[in-house]
Amino acid sequence: MKTSKNLQLTIVGIAAAIGILLILWKPSVLIYGLQGAGLYAAVALPMALILGIVGIINLAHGEFMMLGAYLAYWFSTQFGIDPLLAMIPVLISMGIVGVITYKTTIHRVLGAPELNQLILTFGIAMVLSQVVNLIATSQPRKLSLDYVTASAKVGELSFGTYDFIFVAAAVLFLAGLLFFLRRTKLGKAAVAVGQNPKGARLVGINVDRTYLIIFSIALGLLGIIGTLFLTSHSIFPLVGGSYTMKSFCLVAMAGIGQLKPILWGSLALGVSESFIMSFQGYGGWADIVFFAIIVIVIISRAYKRTES
Amino acid sequence: MKNCITVMIAVLLLLALPLAVFAGGQGEQGEQVEQGEQAAEKDPIKLGGVWPLADITGDQGSKAAQLAVEEINANGGVLGRQLELSVIDSELKPEKGRSAIERLATVEDVDIFVGGMSSGVHLGQIPSLKKYEKVTMWTGAASSKAEEAVGPDADWYFHLHPWDYTQGQSYVDGWGDISEKYPEIKVSDWFLAYEDGAFGTGSFQASQNLYTELGEMTGESFKSAATGGGDYTAVLEHAKEYGPEVFIWAGYDADALPMLETAKAIDFAPPIYLGAPPGWPQGFGESPLSNYVMLYGMWAPSMNSVSGVSKHFYEAYTGKYDGEPQTYFAPLSYSAIYILKEGIERAGTLEKEALIEALENTEYDSPLGQTIGFSPSNIIQHQGIWGQKILQWQNGKREVIWPFEYQTAEPVYPFPGWDER
Repeated sequence: MKTSKNLQLTIVGIAAAIGILLILWKPSVLIYGLQGAGLYAAVALPMALILGIVGIINLAHGEFMMLGAYLAYWFSTQFGIDPLLAMIPVLISMGIVGVITYKTTIHRVLGAPELNQLILTFGIAMVLSQVVNLIATSQPRKLSLDYVTASAKVGELSFGTYDFIFVAAAVLFLAGLLFFLRRTKLGKAAVAVGQNPKGARLVGINVDRTYLIIFSIALGLLGIIGTLFLTSHSIFPLVGGSYTMKSFCLVAMAGIGQLKPILWGSLALGVSESFIMSFQGYGGWADIVFFAIIVIVIISRAYKRTES
Repeated sequence: MKNCITVMIAVLLLLALPLAVFAGGQGEQGEQVEQGEQAAEKDPIKLGGVWPLADITGDQGSKAAQLAVEEINANGGVLGRQLELSVIDSELKPEKGRSAIERLATVEDVDIFVGGMSSGVHLGQIPSLKKYEKVTMWTGAASSKAEEAVGPDADWYFHLHPWDYTQGQSYVDGWGDISEKYPEIKVSDWFLAYEDGAFGTGSFQASQNLYTELGEMTGESFKSAATGGGDYTAVLEHAKEYGPEVFIWAGYDADALPMLETAKAIDFAPPIYLGAPPGWPQGFGESPLSNYVMLYGMWAPSMNSVSGVSKHFYEAYTGKYDGEPQTYFAPLSYSAIYILKEGIERAGTLEKEALIEALENTEYDSPLGQTIGFSPSNIIQHQGIWGQKILQWQNGKREVIWPFEYQTAEPVYPFPGWDER
């Protein structure tokens, strides 16, 4: 127990030392690393929620985010409202999409082999991207918004500040989810369902309804992150695919059902990527470093488990 | 039960009725075909087009080609026959593009192939085009790899879009002319931010050799939003540190506005901010950030003020379809149909040798500004257009800066600082 605490303290110490060194050497690495980490964490948290409680690997995760972004674009352009305001109808719409998707598809494969579940969610991903492609075409769409170019200047360093909104979103998502899962009756029931669905059913919890609610909440969160994504990124039908992959890697790195480690994992990956990219000509290594870190963490965890 | 059987018989009869009518129609059609050569003469001239229809280049390119076909048919067609355009979606996939050519050749039995966008798709199509050796009027594909694949013997192949090396040379010529006419415009120090795929990397390699005539060029790759990236801070920070006279980026339309937003956020405003994507995103000109960004292209609506053909094309297009042409693939595809129409008329027949000879004598006054004719490029026999134009976004419109004979506005230089707007 003491050794574990010492190890944690050492890791925190090393992280703090690296942080201080980066601030002194190239503060932009830390700033952009933090912003990137916020986006990764905010996108990955709903996937962890679904995997932890419903027990499904949702390969349509990024496509649902893309759908949320397109809905926000539609609300924003049709009704002339700011996309940040469009977040409210998008949240509701995505919640409804969650209910429909769960009732018509997910619900039917819960007891099926994992491969069937994977193929189903992969199919949903294909359908979503192709339907959006048919309706909205593949041409990228981007809203021109003044506030996304907000910047701050510290000495000679000028940097964008808007992307800190992803950090705020990630922290709020995490805090909100932890509060929901630990403090509310429904959340506690969801945790019980995630840990032991049969046991939960025996004590009177409506497992199916819990799955439905959790799936809809996760899609609602994806609607929010899709809306935020739209404000500073171009959207097109295939934009979500890479986020499914990165989210899945983060969830695997954090451990199934774990929410807090996603934040730390995202931070490590975001800062590492930003560090590599700060060297001119080495930007192409960022993806390699991203996946290398994940592989190392997963292997070391498996090794630790075998040893114990 | 009896009622049920009656209903079923009725349904069957109803289903059989159209089949009987169809069969009768076929019989009549068969009789007509037998009426001989005279009827065959009145058959439409079939054009087979392949475009990526979900992409704006293909969507607008195919629409503009259809517009040209309708205009020609409304004026009596060609040699007393109507034109008929069959369009198949390439979906921007080489295998789909190739199967489209196969279908057009075998099922649709077209006389001429037309259209096209994307070198990758075209590389997949070339073996099929070579198999049928029908007269081909191609609007897309800039990669010289496609030129190598077509080879020197394909006399039936007419290529409109400039090759990468010819358009690269046109940029060098253009910037040389601009800096001569406007000595205050400096173009000797370049930073190229290029997407890390084949398009961007190829652009960087080609530019490094070509731009030595103008000065120094350095660059760095970035991961385009189109391929799962979209973080431009590092590459723009490096460009800012380098302090180039010209900052140029070669990526996709998805990168255009987010990259500008990042440039503003980190306060990077080089004297020339130049973009070279294949197309621009919808509504780019409406963003105040787009003002004074330079770009490469073949056409812009502003050319209506210097070209009557451009004006006619623009008015016809906007009259028929919603919105204005956003990509030069629209006037390019429109031109392809008219070049074929004039060629067939000169040849007086669809016979291949005569048509090739007639097309070789093309002098088509195009909506793109220049008069299009064909001459040999490095490998192929019939190359139509050799270069692109240098333009600048000014107050939401793309104005032509160079070539000076098509100039629609004076260049605004330098690109104003973000706090000066």
